[in-house]
Amino acid sequence: MNDFKSLRVLDAFRWIFEKFDIDYPIMRKLIQLKLTMDSRRIPAIFNGQKQKKEGNQFIKSLWLYLFYGLLLLTPFLFLRNQYMFASSILFTVLMFITITTMVSDFSAVLLDVRDKNILQPKPVSNRTLNAAKLMHIVIYLALLEGSFVIIPLAVGIYRFGIFYGLIFIVSIVFVSCFVVVITALTYLFILRFFSGEKLKDIINYVQIFLAVAVMVSYQVMAHSFELTQMNLQYTFTWWHVFLPPLWYSAFFEVLLNQDYSINMLILMACGIVIPLLMLRIYIKLMPTFERSLSKLMSDTVRTKGKSHFFEDWTSKILCRNAQERTFYRFASLMIRQEREFKLKAYPQIGFAIVIPFVMFFNEVRIDSLKEAMANENVYPLYFSALMIPTVVHLLKFSGAYKGNWIFRATPISNSKMFYSSTLKAAIVKLFLPTFALLSIVFIAMFSWAIIPDLLIILLVAIMMTLLSYVLLNGEVYPFSNSHELTQDNNTLKVLVAMVVIGAFALVHYLIAMIPYAKLIYMLILIIAVIVGWRLVFGEKKNHGHS
Amino acid sequence: MIGEPILRLQNIEMSFGNKQVLNGINLEVGKGQIIGYIGPNGAGKSTTVKLMLGLIEGYSGKIEIFGKDIADGDYTYKKRIGYVPETAELYDHLTAAEYLTFTGEMYGLEREEAEKKAYQLMFQFGLEHAFHQRLTSFSKGMRQKVLIISSVLHNPDLLFFDEPLSGLDANSVLVVKEILAKLAEEGKTVFYSSHIMEVVEKISDRIVLLVNGLVVADGSFEELQQQGKEGTLEEIFNQMTGFNQQVEIAERFVEIVKEGRVHE
Repeated sequence: MNDFKSLRVLDAFRWIFEKFDIDYPIMRKLIQLKLTMDSRRIPAIFNGQKQKKEGNQFIKSLWLYLFYGLLLLTPFLFLRNQYMFASSILFTVLMFITITTMVSDFSAVLLDVRDKNILQPKPVSNRTLNAAKLMHIVIYLALLEGSFVIIPLAVGIYRFGIFYGLIFIVSIVFVSCFVVVITALTYLFILRFFSGEKLKDIINYVQIFLAVAVMVSYQVMAHSFELTQMNLQYTFTWWHVFLPPLWYSAFFEVLLNQDYSINMLILMACGIVIPLLMLRIYIKLMPTFERSLSKLMSDTVRTKGKSHFFEDWTSKILCRNAQERTFYRFASLMIRQEREFKLKAYPQIGFAIVIPFVMFFNEVRIDSLKEAMANENVYPLYFSALMIPTVVHLLKFSGAYKGNWIFRATPISNSKMFYSSTLKAAIVKLFLPTFALLSIVFIAMFSWAIIPDLLIILLVAIMMTLLSYVLLNGEVYPFSNSHELTQDNNTLKVLVAMVVIGAFALVHYLIAMIPYAKLIYMLILIIAVIVGWRLVFGEKKNHGHS
Repeated sequence: MIGEPILRLQNIEMSFGNKQVLNGINLEVGKGQIIGYIGPNGAGKSTTVKLMLGLIEGYSGKIEIFGKDIADGDYTYKKRIGYVPETAELYDHLTAAEYLTFTGEMYGLEREEAEKKAYQLMFQFGLEHAFHQRLTSFSKGMRQKVLIISSVLHNPDLLFFDEPLSGLDANSVLVVKEILAKLAEEGKTVFYSSHIMEVVEKISDRIVLLVNGLVVADGSFEELQQQGKEGTLEEIFNQMTGFNQQVEIAERFVEIVKEGRVHE
């Protein structure tokens, strides 16, 4: 096993862990093991064809965050010598990125029960186990944030001096600590009060909720400064105590601008006391967390089967033969029941629901509400299609991926039907409900007249599903790869998807200006979907594996 | 050889990278036989089975099943095959009912038929209470039973059982052994690989011993005994694989265990 640099850095903090009664050498070994496993990810044997290179995909994707940092954070440092505004935007973006990755990518690690059977029988305390799990996440988070802030940090030091840099680093440590602990505490709370099957469902709803909450608070943050007045003056209001980015901006205000007003000191105190307090609570409750996690493995005794009316009905409409219908139902069940899949997919649904509204109300801020309503502005709905690339990509994986021998052992004439029906199931089970909900609200806001537009967006979404499959998956058997911590870079996919979806939205916008063109466009899309689907999944006469 | 040939392997070779796993296997199996396929770890037993099922590709030689070369791309031969893999891997987020109905349907059964049959078979194993529970909550033995059921739901003519008794309790083992005998009586062919020699000795019509990717012995238990080897199948196995150091190895093993400092 390699001796990782990150572990050597961790060694410097050994005394902290020992103070909390954690068996440091054991914890170190556990983390080393996890990191080694992460660096040895290779695709499952059955998926043959192209052998990907070994290595930690996450580390390889860090350069992208470097770029984001440059793009998203650095500009704010060139605002006038007014720390409050610049740094609170900076921290908002930072927290936003951290929480979203925490919720969508690291939740699975935090709630992992797979190695319980291996590690639990060994003489290791729950406390140490949990600390290892947490530190495993923290190392990745530190790398992510490190690459994210390195450029802004350098620019900051250059502009405001070394003291600024020091405060910056300290506050980032506090911010990360805050984010990790608050996520863990939320799960802990849920685990404590629910059990069995219900718990599994609730965890996914919590994820949607967290995703929505993060999005909304991001907006609140931006609005706490009256942007329209252009002077960016900060005035303290009592509810600012609940906005963590302001706590850390206050650090700069107090220490660099020598603003010792009571408001600033309160904010700064919050920034130090609250994370530490929460960390203290978390450490105290850690053993409870591990114990409650085992609830995730149990199944409540059920003696009756669930009805599959909806799946039956949709499978009859969407699938042509019995095999496809069978697999469609199978995929629907996998999507509905696999915990790891849901852990990663459900936050996307949360974003898909909330982003269109955020975009809509941003519009409203520029125009007036009345004007925005009159415009029948349906374009924000395109943002809901952003969930598609991620969800389609997730269909490759399963916690029980080794069960995929069954696909090969069974007599299947056209192996392309596996993905064809899986994609259909994903659209029906995940995208359609989300989109239906959004459509109802948008129809209520505007009028029935937007229905053609909604149909166009739906067709584009189906196109996106097909495109995502071709570009991201392109393999024969779904649910056949191991889920892993951070397999690929999500953000890059979303970025590419954004460009494609943007192009579609632009076409839609232009078409809307020509009368009757919408109907023609819709027809073209329908034909494109059908032809595209046939091209990708159509049965070829003599295909064989060789 | 009795009956029509169900399965014929001709000079099968297979390698993973540089490692040659099968070195030219020749085998012919007739209808209604129970073949005990044995050999030390890594001899290539599972690989042979996986090749015949089309789970892995890239062999040389010829595999004929039901009289047809499986390399010609016609998948339909799989309809008449049932398979229990060595490792009990299945999509365990599903309930037993869901998984069994799914596999049954994949083999061409009607849904209602698959579900009804699956329930009746689960009932025979005394698992009807767990029919609608997720497989994640199943014990090793229960999973094994689900896999056995999933392999026979479609009434196949050829069965590949790779270590099918692992995790089963003594009574269930008796039941499964009886089931195998009955299936063979019905004219089904069972290709059975296992490390438990007592069972292989008792149920097999014919035993095929594989060492280093080659068939080194082939015949009924009595025939193997007549070839000058005596005693139980386990002893024959040890002789033919050239293994007689068990006592020395065990002694050294325990010595090492005792060495070093004592942990409290």
